Amino acid sequence: MKKGNTWFLVSLMIIVATLTVACGSSTEATSTAKPTEAAAQNPTETASGAQTPTETAAGGEAVTVRLLSGAVGQELELTKASAQRYMDAHPNVTVEVFDTPDAVQDRLGVYLQYFETKSSDADLYQIDVIWPGDLAEHLIDLNQYGADKVAAEHFPAIIQNNTVDGKLVGIPWFTDAGLLYYRTDLLEKYGFSGPPTTWDELASMAQTIQDGERADNPDFWGFVWQGNAYEGLTCDALEWVDSNGGGTIINTDKVITINNDKAAAAIDAAGKWVGTISPPGVTGFQEEDARNMWQAGNAAFMRNWPYAYSLSQGSDSAVKDKFDVTPLPAGDSGHGAATLGGWQLAVSKYSNHPDVAADVALFLTSRDEQKIRAIKGSMNPTIMDLYKDPDVCAASPFMCKLEDVFTSAVARPSTATAPHYNEVSTAFFQAVHSVLTGDKDAQSALEALELDLQDITGFQTGQPQ
Amino acid sequence: MTRIRKKKRHMSKTAKREERLAFTMLLPAFLIILIIAIYPLFTVFRDSLTDKVFASNDPVHFVGLSNYAELLSINIKELPPVIDQATGQQAIDPNTGQPLYQRPIDVLPREPRRYRELSQFSLFGKHYVIGATEPDFINSVKDTLIFTVVSVFLEVLLGLGVALVVNSGFRGRGLMRATMLVPWAIITVVSARIWQGMLGPTRAGLFNVILYGLGLGDGQTAFLREASLQLPAIIAVDVWKTTPFMALLLLAGLQTIPTDLYEAAEVDGAGKLRQFISITFPLLTPALTVALIFRTLDALRVFDVFQVLLSRTRYSMASFAQDQLIQYQASGLSSAASVVIFVLILIFAVIYIRALGVETE
Repeated sequence: MKKGNTWFLVSLMIIVATLTVACGSSTEATSTAKPTEAAAQNPTETASGAQTPTETAAGGEAVTVRLLSGAVGQELELTKASAQRYMDAHPNVTVEVFDTPDAVQDRLGVYLQYFETKSSDADLYQIDVIWPGDLAEHLIDLNQYGADKVAAEHFPAIIQNNTVDGKLVGIPWFTDAGLLYYRTDLLEKYGFSGPPTTWDELASMAQTIQDGERADNPDFWGFVWQGNAYEGLTCDALEWVDSNGGGTIINTDKVITINNDKAAAAIDAAGKWVGTISPPGVTGFQEEDARNMWQAGNAAFMRNWPYAYSLSQGSDSAVKDKFDVTPLPAGDSGHGAATLGGWQLAVSKYSNHPDVAADVALFLTSRDEQKIRAIKGSMNPTIMDLYKDPDVCAASPFMCKLEDVFTSAVARPSTATAPHYNEVSTAFFQAVHSVLTGDKDAQSALEALELDLQDITGFQTGQPQ
Repeated sequence: MTRIRKKKRHMSKTAKREERLAFTMLLPAFLIILIIAIYPLFTVFRDSLTDKVFASNDPVHFVGLSNYAELLSINIKELPPVIDQATGQQAIDPNTGQPLYQRPIDVLPREPRRYRELSQFSLFGKHYVIGATEPDFINSVKDTLIFTVVSVFLEVLLGLGVALVVNSGFRGRGLMRATMLVPWAIITVVSARIWQGMLGPTRAGLFNVILYGLGLGDGQTAFLREASLQLPAIIAVDVWKTTPFMALLLLAGLQTIPTDLYEAAEVDGAGKLRQFISITFPLLTPALTVALIFRTLDALRVFDVFQVLLSRTRYSMASFAQDQLIQYQASGLSSAASVVIFVLILIFAVIYIRALGVETE
């Protein structure tokens, strides 16, 4: 071999090694710089409303903060309108609102990519109620930026959910709980006195109404819900299981309780709806698919979140003034269950302007803004006294009527299983989905699921209380 | 590198200077390739040997080949029949009428890693179950290979047909050539969404409306959720999208064939089919080779159609790797899956080059 050849190969090795070491250490260097910078800045007093213009942006220096927001239903327009109101009050701040994928896991994928690169391209993140545990290491403590003054106005359960190791990583924005939407006109037409109180009653009512309506409308189905293999199925299935006394997958004492007869019975019952009172394609439905069918007048019952209420009352809706909402039916336990949802606003610790971003977050989640979102978008506020506000109750009577549903909603086991909640949820919804598609029966699926959960979390198994 | 392997021959001073100059001029381009292609590839290889967690500050440990073991471990166990105590014969499942065997979950090993059921088969009167630690990955390899073979075959066939048609002279040929590229030009994610709407599981979806109108089916076929219909649907979307690309490559090949060959064949009395077999097809082989290599390697890397249309119900190799990265934050496992894809593509590339006799110095 020529001598020059060896020299060439050696220099190649050196280049590769240098690049590896240099690139690896430089990212660490920049990332450690940012948090110390943020901590050194003076956290300023901020009011929850827009009255006091802040001086945090170095007195007139133009600042841009970017917010990654959801775009389900009317979310994006409402957020943009809120951001505009903030910008009107703070002329030197520009708030750019970006939409993110509808499906919750896809949205998480986008966020994780930002966090992996410790990017300062996004400042504010709309995070799900199940993410504070997983994402806490990338978020700032909002209590240092004025949130401690307003935390008491919000539901304590949600504030507690968002507090990780003493840090408040997300300020609650709106809360959610599963509801049963039903067609009041059809119930009257078929002689039912009121909405169903048990799942069996729902199934038989849906069957009767469907059989009757099919004469005129071959696309009519009794009950639509979210059956696709995604986080939404975890929400729906948790409601069936908990309302039947089957527990909450993993309880707060970190015991795996899902493998029991009542849970299996609840999931088997849901599997029987597919193709009978629910379309076979319900195993591919997410929130918007169910809402589209319902809003076109092709369903008697729908399980969905509160956001669908104002859309169903919209001028282009075929079910306007023909429906109402009620708590979800009960199973063997005697009480219905509604999965706790809801979103919070968080500020990334890699942001260049954490103080301005925190101020924007506190403004967007302030009482006035939450009231507008409640009235226009039927997005449930997290500020407790808005449930007694006359304007809110007039626009969305169900909100004030069903306050108990929202305060007693069942939480997914995200805190108990952090940082593995994603894996736990995926294992659960894939098990349920295999029952819905007829691949497995519920008992085998739950047995396999129990083993999977043991692998993932290392917890013990037990029975639900 | 071939240059260096040649026997040492006497080089003049000018030649040596030119050689050094050549190296110097190539160095910037080489550095760019190093940074953009080789370095990321190297980090994937490196990460596949660790337990790195995506988007986290957890410490990283070197774990050797355990990620690969987790992806590729397969175990075959016999499923003994369940004996009915009353009759002493094999029990029959009352619901399905099939003979009953032990359940795989009781038979497959659980330590140190749990083996999940992949499939069952019978051989010489005995029943066996194949278990894998990562059945999703094994299935994704199988699905990707089926997808590749079928979609490339259809694309070549249809692409050739389209190319032959567009090659012949007719009015509006220019316009036809432009419009035929439209499916290829639309971004895959956008066209996948359009297809998702058309493949809708109720009578809001175009295909269900058509099938219902023709009297086939009840209008409720869930194309994207029924196991037997998922791959055909995905293949249809991909064939629709990529046939224009194949047609374009083959058209370029067709244009290089001199027309006097055809005239000579006409004079000799050869029919159209004979012309195709003896003239067109052999002379098209180089372009066909290029098109095949392109499409096969692309099809093995398929991601967007699987991600948009099937998301978490069925994976391709690439969408499995992405899912591991984002949903489970398992950087190590995801990188190992990527390396497996890389190796598989390398094997295919080598097979093509050898079989189709592509010239290498």
